[in-house]
Amino acid sequence: MIAEKTTILKRILTISIGMLLVLIAAAVLGISVGSAGGGFETVIRSIFGKTVVDSSLEDIIWRIRMPRVVLAALVGAALSSGGLVFQALLRNPLAEPYILGISGGAAIGAISGILIGLSQFPGVSVSSFIGSMMTLALLLMISSGRTILRKESLLLSGVMVNAFCSAVIMFLISMTQDARIHNIIFWLMGDLSLAGFKQVILLAAIVIPGIAVIFWLSHVMNLLLLGQETAKSLGVNLKVVTVILLGTTSLMVSATVSQCGLLGFVGLVIPHLLRFVVGPDHRVLVPACVLGGGAYMIVCDVLARTLPRQGEMPAGVITAIIGAPLFIFLLKKSVR
Amino acid sequence: MQPRKRIFFVCVVLMAISLTALNVADAGIVKDSLGRTVHLPPDPQRIVAFAPSITEIIFALEQQQRLKGVTIYSDYPEAAKSLPRVGSYVRLDLERIVALRPDLCIATKDGNPKALIERLESMDIPVFVTDPRNLESVMQTIGDLGAILHATDRANALVGNMRLRIQQIKSLIAESNDKPRVFFQIGITPIVSVGTDTFIHELIVYAGGINLGEGKASYPRFSREQVLGLKPDVFIISSMARGVAFDKVRKEWYRWPHLPAVRNNRIFLVDSDLFNRPTPRLVDSLETLAKLIHPEIFEEIR
Repeated sequence: MIAEKTTILKRILTISIGMLLVLIAAAVLGISVGSAGGGFETVIRSIFGKTVVDSSLEDIIWRIRMPRVVLAALVGAALSSGGLVFQALLRNPLAEPYILGISGGAAIGAISGILIGLSQFPGVSVSSFIGSMMTLALLLMISSGRTILRKESLLLSGVMVNAFCSAVIMFLISMTQDARIHNIIFWLMGDLSLAGFKQVILLAAIVIPGIAVIFWLSHVMNLLLLGQETAKSLGVNLKVVTVILLGTTSLMVSATVSQCGLLGFVGLVIPHLLRFVVGPDHRVLVPACVLGGGAYMIVCDVLARTLPRQGEMPAGVITAIIGAPLFIFLLKKSVR
Repeated sequence: MQPRKRIFFVCVVLMAISLTALNVADAGIVKDSLGRTVHLPPDPQRIVAFAPSITEIIFALEQQQRLKGVTIYSDYPEAAKSLPRVGSYVRLDLERIVALRPDLCIATKDGNPKALIERLESMDIPVFVTDPRNLESVMQTIGDLGAILHATDRANALVGNMRLRIQQIKSLIAESNDKPRVFFQIGITPIVSVGTDTFIHELIVYAGGINLGEGKASYPRFSREQVLGLKPDVFIISSMARGVAFDKVRKEWYRWPHLPAVRNNRIFLVDSDLFNRPTPRLVDSLETLAKLIHPEIFEEIR
């Protein structure tokens, strides 16, 4: 037993360190590129305290790109661990906060908050959380009872909830007849371009404890995969665990949505990729997803700001372009 | 107006302006349109303008040597096209702005994202926010920027000229009792007009028309049915997509021959840049509009 514990601990450590290196590499890339130029060399010089020729570039690297990279890492960590939780809890490899409409609900809440004129924090964050909880409740109600085990029914409910959310969002946007409409649309498409340290701190205050809770329950998530009956017989209080996990994930997802808009499919791509690499043990998967998801989001954001020749594109476009085909591929595989 | 009366009028106006304009030179700390306190540099040399209109005003003040960055669509005057770009006015590129090392950014409340302005402030870059909502506040903005850029005389001259020309139009229009119903269309699909809280509304009123889009919403949307029900006497279409699009819209309205505007062949296209941008050129727009709405008055003069 003890030997098993040390091996798993060792595994967690090795994989975490490996993923951490990937994350650091992504972060260095993230602060090296941007419309003002720069490049690796400048960043490396700046990291080691050497003076950089252009002082405004140093400002750009540390006060514009750095908070942006940290925010992207937090968002990626929250969304991919959120996806992991949904997949374990609903025992459905295709579950993901965006696909199930949880993100859409959070967006409705956030837009309503913005239109009413609430402050970014706590107003919009709270209205966004309320929106996500309401869609989650709706979703569970539709696919409740025994049918929750059935993949198709849950996914279908999710797609419908998502379609409904999109309709409400479009309604709200069509009602907006002033200049705020541009800001809302850009934000909705997933935007990290204005990240500041204040945003980072707010998000970190929600995401880091959330991740800790998920990691603490990662063993239970393993048991859940064995089936609800088995989990129950092994002493898992299903109801409590489900409520804690769903509440935590919804809180994290709604926090990211209210800060950065809709970034879809992150919770699908990363858990699947990592399950393939490190195996199905959630004790290893959770830290791997947190670090890997962060790295992935940073890279997506880098693509978002370097691909267009003029200006930037929303990061949500990149995550969807990568994620949606993967979703279709997985769906086809799972049907077979 | 008689010449002597006119000179007197201009003098009064100039005095009024020099009293109301910001007294920046000695303070360095001013309140802007968001009610924020802005610490201005005593002599800003590296300005980034966050809207084409602000670029235009700075050029009109002949202070373009201070201008180091502008937005994508800053295309007037010609010389503005060669300045470095920092994104569009609704989607500004934070990195590029900071890379230009501005000592002052000049923003507009309508359009520029507030979050970006806050971000710049957190990096100790002062941002002066303007909010030109009508002709009076456009002139106020010109005066403010004149004071900030040490071009008060030039600003006073510009504003004086604007006031004079506005007054001329107003007194000409006052002769007419006729008030044509004007539908000012700024959007094609959907049909979008202008509400009461816009400078286009004010221009229509000064030019002696009734703005059919008036109301609380700044940019109200209309269905075709609603527009037909309003029975406009004059259509004025200001479209960013000119030419072909305009022909299409005009044809569309010509399908309804009972409309007074169609019957009298009064559907016009105007340059959207002249009507969308709160700049000294708004007076040109006012004159254009007055001639379109009240051609009879201006024909007499000729």
